[in-house]
Amino acid sequence: MDIKSELRKSWIIMMKEFKQIFRKKMLIIPLFMFPIIMIVFFGYGMGGSIKNVDILIVNDDTGMASSSLVQEIGSYIPKDSDIKMFSITYTKDMAQSEAERKIDAGLYKAVLIIPQDYSERVAKNESVTLTLLTDSSDTTSSGIIVNFMQQLLAKTRSISLNVPEIYGNLKYLDFLTPAVIALTIFFGTVQSTGYAIAGEREDGTIVRILMTPVSKWAVILGKTIHQLILQLIRAVILILGATVILGVTMNGSWLLVALVLTIFTFGSVGLGIAISAISEDMTSFQQLSLFFTLPSMFATGVFYPLSSVPDWMRWIAYTMPLTYANDAMRIIMVKGQGLSFIARDIFILIIFGVLYFAIGVHLFRREA
Amino acid sequence: MEPIIEARDLTKVFISRRMKVTAVDHVSLEIYKGEIFGMIGPNGAGKSTTFAMMSTLIKPTSGSIRVSSFDAEKEATKIRQIIGVVPQQYSLYSDLTARENLELMGNLYDVTKKVMEERINYYLKLVNLETHADRFTGGFSGGMKQRLSVISAVIHDPEIIFWDEPTTGLDPQTRQAIWKLARKFNKEGKTLIFTTHYMEEADKLCDRVAIMNDGRLVALDTPENLKKKSSSVSLEEVFIHLTGEEIRD
Ligand SMILES: Nc1ncnc2c1ncn2[C@@H]1O[C@H](COP(=O)(O)OP(=O)(O)O)[C@@H](O)[C@H]1O
Ligand SMILES: [Mg+2]
Repeated sequence: MDIKSELRKSWIIMMKEFKQIFRKKMLIIPLFMFPIIMIVFFGYGMGGSIKNVDILIVNDDTGMASSSLVQEIGSYIPKDSDIKMFSITYTKDMAQSEAERKIDAGLYKAVLIIPQDYSERVAKNESVTLTLLTDSSDTTSSGIIVNFMQQLLAKTRSISLNVPEIYGNLKYLDFLTPAVIALTIFFGTVQSTGYAIAGEREDGTIVRILMTPVSKWAVILGKTIHQLILQLIRAVILILGATVILGVTMNGSWLLVALVLTIFTFGSVGLGIAISAISEDMTSFQQLSLFFTLPSMFATGVFYPLSSVPDWMRWIAYTMPLTYANDAMRIIMVKGQGLSFIARDIFILIIFGVLYFAIGVHLFRREA
Repeated sequence: MEPIIEARDLTKVFISRRMKVTAVDHVSLEIYKGEIFGMIGPNGAGKSTTFAMMSTLIKPTSGSIRVSSFDAEKEATKIRQIIGVVPQQYSLYSDLTARENLELMGNLYDVTKKVMEERINYYLKLVNLETHADRFTGGFSGGMKQRLSVISAVIHDPEIIFWDEPTTGLDPQTRQAIWKLARKFNKEGKTLIFTTHYMEEADKLCDRVAIMNDGRLVALDTPENLKKKSSSVSLEEVFIHLTGEEIRD
């Protein structure tokens, strides 16, 4: 196979796809409007409760008051639930910076630091300050935890709560938007790859393409690169739109966003090819693709943190690539963290991507 | 005469909804260089499937094909370079213009830009589409689509042309135009293979005719010989004589 000629053919296919997409003006709505509508609706319409959230209590005090406080936190069960709100780990003698690192690493949703002289001061009715650190990339949990602690401590007037903002002022929108973008890319890629292949199969045009000396690799490569470019442009526009119009936070590197979405789109193209290969026509493609994509929307923690769902649901989420894309996108956009923090997500996305793509290419037949 | 296509014992079995369908059943034939070769038979006879195998679109379940001495299994790419296929479906991009459809094909066949533009203009004129060159094919009539479909298969100047039912469902005028093109291509030395279920067209146009029924090759000869052998006046009668069946449509 002559690589240069293959690449040239891929280029031709890619340009054809672009020509076609620019002529479908109606596509603007699903491409750009749906995700914005989703962000606005869910962003302003959702709250939530949490359970079994991992928190760390750094207790440098040995007195009575702190142990009863800790006990109260540990045994708290929300009214509408029968599961404890927190799952607590205890330690002492830990610097705030170290505690912040633990949150960054995703080990805890919050850290409560109790100072050494807490019990003494409470007994003497002197003022005392506790420090609460929260994982601000998960604004739902953070908001609820801060709220809970404030109410709990308000019972004793002398105690105040210091909540340093680790990553600036965060809202649910900041939590939601990175995942909605990942979700949008996922749905969009699977759908339009499928349309491009199942649709061309139905129109018979793919037969004509495959009757030329072009290899199936060149066809797939052309369509894949088209999707990568299209989806990246889409992501950039959506992120810019969300930051400008809705004031959503974008703290991280655009390059990392591009990296995560490129890998994720690659796998989604593979899934789209695979689904279109096993569908007989457009109708069965649409049904099958919903079967493969819709569960991801609800199971992967787009709208609420995975830490607040039951274990069995979390395990389902772990089998879906969107879970890792969501996580990586939040780490980049909200926390502004670097490559080493998303390495695990990227690694898993690469595995999914290669797997889906291999299945897609394998199932893609020349035969009409 | 020199064979340009040799099919040996071609068989294709489709498995669809757990049912085995033998679309083509042990068909062997030779097609000679420079001839107009027709395949006739009712719907479902296996014509398109035979075409698809000869044009390397699908692989036979068993049997072998050589096209211009290339092996269809091992040298499919080389075969694709020298054949032009007009599928039974029009299969044009409705959101591309006529010219863009042609350019796409030319580019995929590696035709140089200058030659391609010359050929595109020439062929568009030949089939009376030059005024529609820059319109989307989505709005074309069936006849216009078929004419475009036919010329988009010859942009790379192939040696062999496959036409699958090029005249089905078209008005008499367009059918005339298509047959005129067939003769023209043939005069240029191209081998032309087509399927039809209009038997009288095959009679008029073909050097030789293969009659297919139920996946099998029932007869293969010149129209004259076929008629003589069964003392019939038309290929339609020949078909009935050979199969004992009326043509179903
Ligand atoms: N892709 C396919 N899958 C299953 N069956 C098929 C397929 N293509 C053709 N067939 C069947 O093979 C037989 C021959 O079809 P075809 O070659 O299209 O006949 P013709 O072109 O002579 O009308 C028919 O019974 C048809 O239903
Ligand atoms: Mg047919």
